[in-house]
Amino acid sequence: MYHNEIEFIDLGMIDYIEAFNLQKQYAAERASDILDHDRILMLEHLPVFTLGKRGGRENLVVTEDFLQSRNIPIVQTERGGNITYHAPGQLVFYPVIHLEKRQTGVSDFVNMLEEIMIRTASDFGVTAMRNSANHGIWVGSSKIGSIGLSVKRGVCFHGIALNVNLDLTPFTWINPCGLTGVQMTSLENERIRQTQDNNTNRDRFRKDRFRKKTENRVNTENRVNKELPDISILAVKSKMRYHFKTIVENNK
Amino acid sequence: MKEISELNLPEELKYSKDHEWSKVEGDIVTVGIDDYAQDQLGEVVFVEVPEVGDTFSKGDEFGTVESVKAVSEIYIPVSGEIVEVNGNLEDAPELVNNSPYEEGWIIKVKADDLSELDNLMDKAAYLEMLKG
Repeated sequence: MYHNEIEFIDLGMIDYIEAFNLQKQYAAERASDILDHDRILMLEHLPVFTLGKRGGRENLVVTEDFLQSRNIPIVQTERGGNITYHAPGQLVFYPVIHLEKRQTGVSDFVNMLEEIMIRTASDFGVTAMRNSANHGIWVGSSKIGSIGLSVKRGVCFHGIALNVNLDLTPFTWINPCGLTGVQMTSLENERIRQTQDNNTNRDRFRKDRFRKKTENRVNTENRVNKELPDISILAVKSKMRYHFKTIVENNK
Repeated sequence: MKEISELNLPEELKYSKDHEWSKVEGDIVTVGIDDYAQDQLGEVVFVEVPEVGDTFSKGDEFGTVESVKAVSEIYIPVSGEIVEVNGNLEDAPELVNNSPYEEGWIIKVKADDLSELDNLMDKAAYLEMLKG
Protein backbone atom coordinates (compact mmCIF):
# COMPACT_ATOMS: atom_id res chain seq x y z
CA MET A 1 0.00 0.00 0.00
CA TYR A 2 1.30 3.46 -0.75
CA HIS A 3 1.23 5.84 2.20
CA ASN A 4 -1.94 7.74 1.24
CA GLU A 5 -4.05 4.69 0.54
CA ILE A 6 -6.80 3.75 2.96
CA GLU A 7 -7.46 0.13 3.87
CA PHE A 8 -11.17 -0.68 4.19
CA ILE A 9 -12.10 -3.48 6.54
CA ASP A 10 -15.61 -4.92 6.56
CA LEU A 11 -16.48 -6.15 10.04
CA GLY A 12 -20.09 -7.04 9.20
CA MET A 13 -22.32 -7.17 12.28
CA ILE A 14 -20.30 -6.55 15.42
CA ASP A 15 -20.80 -5.82 19.10
CA TYR A 16 -20.07 -2.21 20.11
CA ILE A 17 -17.35 -2.98 22.66
CA GLU A 18 -15.58 -5.37 20.31
CA ALA A 19 -15.46 -2.74 17.56
CA PHE A 20 -14.39 -0.10 20.08
CA ASN A 21 -11.44 -2.21 21.27
CA LEU A 22 -10.34 -2.78 17.68
CA GLN A 23 -10.44 0.96 16.98
CA LYS A 24 -8.45 1.77 20.10
CA GLN A 25 -5.83 -0.79 19.12
CA TYR A 26 -5.57 0.46 15.53
CA ALA A 27 -5.49 4.12 16.63
CA ALA A 28 -2.60 3.42 19.03
CA GLU A 29 -0.74 1.45 16.36
CA ARG A 30 -1.34 4.19 13.80
CA ALA A 31 -0.11 6.92 16.18
CA SER A 32 3.13 5.05 16.86
CA ASP A 33 3.54 4.14 13.18
CA ILE A 34 3.41 0.39 13.84
CA LEU A 35 0.53 0.66 11.39
CA ASP A 36 1.86 2.60 8.39
CA HIS A 37 -1.46 3.41 6.70
CA ASP A 38 -4.95 4.63 7.56
CA ARG A 39 -7.79 2.20 8.07
CA ILE A 40 -11.56 2.49 7.89
CA LEU A 41 -13.79 -0.03 9.62
CA MET A 42 -17.22 -0.60 8.02
CA LEU A 43 -19.87 -2.26 10.14
CA GLU A 44 -23.30 -2.48 11.67
CA HIS A 45 -23.75 -2.65 15.43
CA LEU A 46 -26.03 -4.88 17.42
CA PRO A 47 -28.61 -2.64 19.17
CA VAL A 48 -26.90 -0.30 21.65
CA PHE A 49 -27.24 3.19 23.10
CA THR A 50 -23.97 5.06 23.49
CA LEU A 51 -23.16 8.16 25.53
CA GLY A 52 -20.65 10.87 24.56
CA LYS A 53 -17.70 11.67 26.81
CA ARG A 54 -19.74 14.34 28.52
CA GLY A 55 -22.69 12.04 28.95
CA GLY A 56 -26.21 12.07 27.70
CA ARG A 57 -27.90 9.83 30.27
CA GLU A 58 -30.12 12.84 31.05
CA ASN A 59 -31.40 12.60 27.48
CA LEU A 60 -32.79 9.13 28.00
CA VAL A 61 -36.57 9.57 28.10
CA VAL A 62 -37.34 6.02 29.24
CA THR A 63 -36.02 4.20 32.32
CA GLU A 64 -32.89 2.08 32.19
CA ASP A 65 -35.06 -0.83 33.39
CA PHE A 66 -37.15 -0.44 30.25
CA LEU A 67 -34.02 -0.68 28.08
CA GLN A 68 -32.87 -3.67 30.08
CA SER A 69 -36.21 -5.36 29.41
CA ARG A 70 -35.56 -4.80 25.72
CA ASN A 71 -32.06 -6.18 26.16
CA ILE A 72 -30.37 -3.01 24.85
CA PRO A 73 -27.20 -1.97 26.73
CA ILE A 74 -25.98 1.61 27.32
CA VAL A 75 -22.26 2.17 26.81
CA GLN A 76 -20.20 5.15 27.99
CA THR A 77 -17.72 6.29 25.30
CA GLU A 78 -14.93 8.86 24.91
CA ARG A 79 -16.24 10.41 21.69
CA GLY A 80 -17.65 13.87 21.18
CA GLY A 81 -21.39 14.45 20.97
CA ASN A 82 -24.24 13.16 23.11
CA ILE A 83 -26.45 10.06 23.34
CA THR A 84 -27.23 8.06 20.22
CA TYR A 85 -28.52 4.68 19.09
CA HIS A 86 -26.96 2.07 16.82
CA ALA A 87 -28.58 -1.05 15.38
CA PRO A 88 -28.56 -3.27 12.30
CA GLY A 89 -29.79 -1.27 9.31
CA GLN A 90 -27.57 1.69 10.24
CA LEU A 91 -24.26 1.86 8.40
CA VAL A 92 -21.29 2.81 10.57
CA PHE A 93 -17.85 3.83 9.29
CA TYR A 94 -15.02 4.25 11.78
CA PRO A 95 -12.09 6.08 10.17
CA VAL A 96 -8.78 5.49 11.96
CA ILE A 97 -7.04 8.31 10.14
CA HIS A 98 -3.78 10.08 10.95
CA LEU A 99 -5.21 13.60 10.64
CA GLU A 100 -1.91 15.20 11.59
CA LYS A 101 -0.07 13.40 8.77
CA ARG A 102 -2.77 14.31 6.28
CA GLN A 103 -2.54 17.89 7.58
CA THR A 104 -6.29 17.88 8.09
CA GLY A 105 -7.78 19.77 11.02
CA VAL A 106 -10.59 18.23 13.06
CA SER A 107 -13.02 20.89 11.95
CA ASP A 108 -12.22 20.27 8.26
CA PHE A 109 -12.45 16.53 8.77
CA VAL A 110 -15.96 16.81 10.26
CA ASN A 111 -16.86 18.84 7.18
CA MET A 112 -15.51 16.05 4.95
CA LEU A 113 -17.51 13.42 6.84
CA GLU A 114 -20.66 15.47 6.34
CA GLU A 115 -19.88 15.81 2.64
CA ILE A 116 -19.38 12.04 2.32
CA MET A 117 -22.79 11.35 3.89
CA ILE A 118 -24.50 14.05 1.79
CA ARG A 119 -23.12 12.58 -1.44
CA THR A 120 -24.03 9.04 -0.37
CA ALA A 121 -27.63 10.04 0.44
CA SER A 122 -27.82 11.82 -2.88
CA ASP A 123 -26.82 8.61 -4.72
CA PHE A 124 -30.06 7.15 -3.36
CA GLY A 125 -32.18 10.13 -4.32
CA VAL A 126 -32.25 11.68 -0.84
CA THR A 127 -31.33 15.35 -0.52
CA ALA A 128 -29.59 15.80 2.81
CA MET A 129 -27.83 18.89 4.12
CA ARG A 130 -25.90 20.42 7.00
CA ASN A 131 -27.69 22.21 9.81
CA SER A 132 -26.13 24.96 11.90
CA ALA A 133 -27.99 23.64 14.98
CA ASN A 134 -25.96 20.46 15.08
CA HIS A 135 -23.26 18.69 13.09
CA GLY A 136 -24.18 15.61 11.09
CA ILE A 137 -26.60 15.60 8.16
CA TRP A 138 -30.28 16.34 7.97
CA VAL A 139 -33.28 15.91 5.68
CA GLY A 140 -35.41 18.93 6.48
CA SER A 141 -35.72 18.95 10.27
CA SER A 142 -35.00 15.24 10.67
CA LYS A 143 -31.54 13.88 11.31
CA ILE A 144 -30.29 11.05 9.10
CA GLY A 145 -26.52 10.90 9.73
CA SER A 146 -24.51 11.48 12.91
CA ILE A 147 -20.88 12.19 13.77
CA GLY A 148 -18.80 11.62 16.90
CA LEU A 149 -14.99 11.57 17.00
CA SER A 150 -12.05 11.16 19.34
CA VAL A 151 -8.55 12.37 18.55
CA LYS A 152 -5.53 10.80 20.27
CA ARG A 153 -1.95 11.65 19.29
CA GLY A 154 -3.09 13.08 15.97
CA VAL A 155 -5.17 10.02 15.02
CA CYS A 156 -8.95 10.05 14.96
CA PHE A 157 -11.35 7.22 15.68
CA HIS A 158 -15.08 6.71 16.25
CA GLY A 159 -16.84 8.14 13.21
CA ILE A 160 -20.15 8.35 11.38
CA ALA A 161 -23.47 6.53 11.37
CA LEU A 162 -25.92 6.81 8.48
CA ASN A 163 -29.46 5.51 8.95
CA VAL A 164 -30.24 3.19 6.05
CA ASN A 165 -33.23 1.00 6.83
CA LEU A 166 -33.32 0.42 10.58
CA ASP A 167 -36.36 0.52 12.85
CA LEU A 168 -36.29 4.12 14.14
CA THR A 169 -38.53 3.52 17.18
CA PRO A 170 -35.68 3.31 19.75
CA PHE A 171 -34.61 6.86 18.78
CA THR A 172 -37.89 8.03 20.34
CA TRP A 173 -36.64 6.72 23.69
CA ILE A 174 -33.90 9.39 23.72
CA ASN A 175 -33.33 13.00 22.78
CA PRO A 176 -30.91 12.13 19.98
CA CYS A 177 -27.61 14.04 20.22
CA GLY A 178 -29.07 15.81 23.25
CA LEU A 179 -31.57 17.74 21.13
CA THR A 180 -35.21 17.84 22.16
CA GLY A 181 -37.93 17.62 19.55
CA VAL A 182 -35.64 16.19 16.89
CA GLN A 183 -36.86 13.30 14.77
CA MET A 184 -34.62 10.76 13.14
CA THR A 185 -35.13 9.48 9.64
CA SER A 186 -33.50 6.96 7.31
CA LEU A 187 -32.80 6.62 3.59
CA GLU A 188 -35.60 4.08 3.33
CA ASN A 189 -38.02 6.34 5.20
CA GLU A 190 -37.23 9.25 2.90
CA ARG A 191 -37.59 7.10 -0.22
CA ILE A 192 -41.05 5.97 0.93
CA ARG A 193 -42.03 9.54 1.74
CA GLN A 194 -40.90 10.76 -1.69
CA THR A 195 -42.85 8.01 -3.46
CA GLN A 196 -45.94 8.95 -1.47
CA ASP A 197 -45.43 12.62 -2.31
CA ASN A 198 -45.11 11.77 -6.00
CA ASN A 199 -48.30 9.71 -5.89
CA THR A 200 -50.15 12.51 -4.13
CA ASN A 201 -48.91 14.95 -6.73
CA ARG A 202 -49.97 12.64 -9.54
CA ASP A 203 -53.50 12.34 -8.13
CA ARG A 204 -53.72 16.08 -7.88
CA PHE A 205 -52.39 16.58 -11.39
CA ARG A 206 -54.88 14.08 -12.85
CA LYS A 207 -57.66 16.45 -11.93
CA ASP A 208 -55.75 19.27 -13.46
CA ARG A 209 -56.59 20.69 -16.85
CA PHE A 210 -52.94 20.52 -17.83
CA ARG A 211 -53.28 16.80 -17.48
CA LYS A 212 -51.24 15.75 -20.46
CA LYS A 213 -48.37 18.10 -19.79
CA THR A 214 -48.05 17.23 -16.12
CA GLU A 215 -48.37 13.51 -16.66
CA ASN A 216 -45.39 13.72 -18.91
CA ARG A 217 -43.51 15.39 -16.12
CA VAL A 218 -44.58 12.82 -13.54
CA ASN A 219 -43.60 10.04 -15.91
CA THR A 220 -40.14 11.54 -16.18
CA GLU A 221 -39.88 11.71 -12.38
CA ASN A 222 -40.96 8.11 -12.06
CA ARG A 223 -38.37 7.07 -14.56
CA VAL A 224 -35.67 8.85 -12.56
CA ASN A 225 -36.86 7.08 -9.42
CA LYS A 226 -36.66 3.72 -11.14
CA GLU A 227 -33.02 4.35 -11.95
CA LEU A 228 -32.16 4.92 -8.30
CA PRO A 229 -30.39 1.95 -6.71
CA ASP A 230 -32.29 -0.17 -4.21
CA ILE A 231 -31.60 0.79 -0.64
CA SER A 232 -29.60 -1.86 1.16
CA ILE A 233 -26.67 -1.79 3.56
CA LEU A 234 -24.50 -3.39 0.89
CA ALA A 235 -25.35 -0.79 -1.77
CA VAL A 236 -24.93 2.17 0.62
CA LYS A 237 -21.64 0.78 1.91
CA SER A 238 -20.25 0.60 -1.60
CA LYS A 239 -21.22 4.22 -2.37
CA MET A 240 -19.96 5.55 0.95
CA ARG A 241 -16.64 3.78 0.49
CA TYR A 242 -16.30 5.38 -2.94
CA HIS A 243 -16.91 8.87 -1.51
CA PHE A 244 -14.42 8.26 1.30
CA LYS A 245 -11.80 7.43 -1.30
CA THR A 246 -12.59 10.53 -3.32
CA ILE A 247 -12.84 12.99 -0.46
CA VAL A 248 -10.35 11.71 2.15
CA GLU A 249 -7.85 9.61 0.22
CA ASN A 250 -7.51 11.95 -2.74
CA ASN A 251 -8.63 15.03 -0.80
CA LYS A 252 -10.91 16.22 -3.62
CA MET B 1 -8.71 27.60 8.16
CA LYS B 2 -5.89 30.09 8.65
CA GLU B 3 -2.85 30.15 6.39
CA ILE B 4 0.39 29.55 8.28
CA SER B 5 1.36 33.17 7.65
CA GLU B 6 -1.84 34.33 9.39
CA LEU B 7 -1.12 32.52 12.65
CA ASN B 8 -0.63 34.51 15.80
CA LEU B 9 2.44 32.99 17.52
CA PRO B 10 3.93 35.27 20.19
CA GLU B 11 7.76 35.39 20.13
CA GLU B 12 8.16 34.96 23.89
CA LEU B 13 6.40 31.54 24.05
CA LYS B 14 7.68 28.00 23.50
CA TYR B 15 5.74 25.56 21.33
CA SER B 16 5.40 21.75 21.38
CA LYS B 17 4.86 19.48 18.37
CA ASP B 18 1.40 18.73 19.82
CA HIS B 19 0.56 22.45 19.47
CA GLU B 20 0.61 23.46 23.13
CA TRP B 21 2.31 26.71 24.16
CA SER B 22 4.30 27.24 27.37
CA LYS B 23 5.23 30.39 29.23
CA VAL B 24 7.80 30.19 32.05
CA GLU B 25 7.70 32.43 35.13
CA GLY B 26 10.10 31.20 37.84
CA ASP B 27 9.38 27.47 38.17
CA ILE B 28 5.73 27.90 37.13
CA VAL B 29 4.82 27.07 33.54
CA THR B 30 1.53 28.27 32.08
CA VAL B 31 0.16 26.03 29.31
CA GLY B 32 -2.53 26.41 26.68
CA ILE B 33 -3.20 25.41 23.08
CA ASP B 34 -1.86 27.66 20.36
CA ASP B 35 -3.55 29.56 17.55
CA TYR B 36 -2.87 26.75 15.05
CA ALA B 37 -4.56 24.16 17.32
CA GLN B 38 -7.61 26.27 18.15
CA ASP B 39 -8.08 27.05 14.46
CA GLN B 40 -7.84 23.37 13.47
CA LEU B 41 -10.23 22.30 16.22
CA GLY B 42 -12.93 24.80 15.38
CA GLU B 43 -15.43 26.12 17.90
CA VAL B 44 -14.52 24.75 21.33
CA VAL B 45 -17.56 23.71 23.39
CA PHE B 46 -15.90 22.11 26.39
CA VAL B 47 -12.47 21.94 28.04
CA GLU B 48 -11.76 19.13 30.48
CA VAL B 49 -9.04 20.20 32.93
CA PRO B 50 -7.17 18.21 35.61
CA GLU B 51 -7.45 18.78 39.36
CA VAL B 52 -5.06 21.03 41.24
CA GLY B 53 -2.50 18.71 42.86
CA ASP B 54 -2.52 16.16 40.02
CA THR B 55 0.95 15.25 38.79
CA PHE B 56 1.95 14.41 35.23
CA SER B 57 5.00 13.39 33.26
CA LYS B 58 6.02 15.32 30.17
CA GLY B 59 3.93 14.20 27.19
CA ASP B 60 1.04 12.81 29.29
CA GLU B 61 -2.55 13.58 28.37
CA PHE B 62 -3.70 16.19 30.91
CA GLY B 63 -7.13 17.02 29.55
CA THR B 64 -9.37 17.15 26.50
CA VAL B 65 -10.88 19.81 24.29
CA GLU B 66 -14.26 19.13 22.67
CA SER B 67 -15.13 20.91 19.45
CA VAL B 68 -17.49 20.17 16.55
CA LYS B 69 -18.40 16.66 17.85
CA ALA B 70 -14.77 15.69 18.41
CA VAL B 71 -12.97 15.12 21.71
CA SER B 72 -9.22 15.79 21.31
CA GLU B 73 -6.61 15.03 23.93
CA ILE B 74 -4.09 17.66 25.01
CA TYR B 75 -0.56 16.86 26.24
CA ILE B 76 1.56 18.41 28.95
CA PRO B 77 4.92 19.83 27.77
CA VAL B 78 6.66 19.53 31.15
CA SER B 79 6.56 17.13 34.13
CA GLY B 80 5.21 18.52 37.35
CA GLU B 81 2.26 19.28 39.61
CA ILE B 82 -0.84 21.25 38.63
CA VAL B 83 -0.99 24.36 40.81
CA GLU B 84 -3.85 26.19 39.09
CA VAL B 85 -6.46 25.55 36.39
CA ASN B 86 -8.42 28.14 34.46
CA GLY B 87 -11.86 27.97 36.07
CA ASN B 88 -13.34 30.42 33.57
CA LEU B 89 -13.20 27.79 30.83
CA GLU B 90 -16.05 25.86 32.44
CA ASP B 91 -18.56 28.55 31.53
CA ALA B 92 -16.65 30.10 28.64
CA PRO B 93 -14.75 27.42 26.69
CA GLU B 94 -14.72 29.74 23.68
CA LEU B 95 -11.94 31.73 25.42
CA VAL B 96 -9.60 29.06 23.99
CA ASN B 97 -10.61 30.22 20.49
CA ASN B 98 -10.88 33.92 21.16
CA SER B 99 -7.87 34.45 23.41
CA PRO B 100 -5.63 31.36 23.28
CA TYR B 101 -2.62 33.03 24.96
CA GLU B 102 -4.33 35.26 27.51
CA GLU B 103 -7.78 34.47 28.90
CA GLY B 104 -7.79 31.01 27.29
CA TRP B 105 -4.80 29.58 29.20
CA ILE B 106 -5.57 26.09 30.56
CA ILE B 107 -3.20 25.07 33.39
CA LYS B 108 -0.28 26.25 35.50
CA VAL B 109 2.30 23.60 36.37
CA LYS B 110 5.03 23.65 39.00
CA ALA B 111 7.77 22.13 36.87
CA ASP B 112 9.97 19.33 38.24
CA ASP B 113 12.77 20.16 35.84
CA LEU B 114 12.70 23.26 33.67
CA SER B 115 15.39 21.85 31.39
CA GLU B 116 12.64 19.62 29.92
CA LEU B 117 11.46 22.75 28.13
CA ASP B 118 14.75 23.05 26.26
CA ASN B 119 13.57 20.87 23.38
CA LEU B 120 10.40 22.87 22.81
CA MET B 121 10.42 25.11 19.75
CA ASP B 122 10.62 28.86 19.43
CA LYS B 123 8.35 30.60 16.95
CA ALA B 124 10.73 30.20 14.01
CA ALA B 125 11.33 26.48 14.57
CA TYR B 126 7.61 25.87 15.15
CA LEU B 127 6.72 27.62 11.91
CA GLU B 128 9.26 25.44 10.10
CA MET B 129 7.61 22.33 11.54
CA LEU B 130 4.14 23.50 10.49
CA LYS B 131 5.34 24.15 6.96
CA GLY B 132 6.55 20.52 6.97
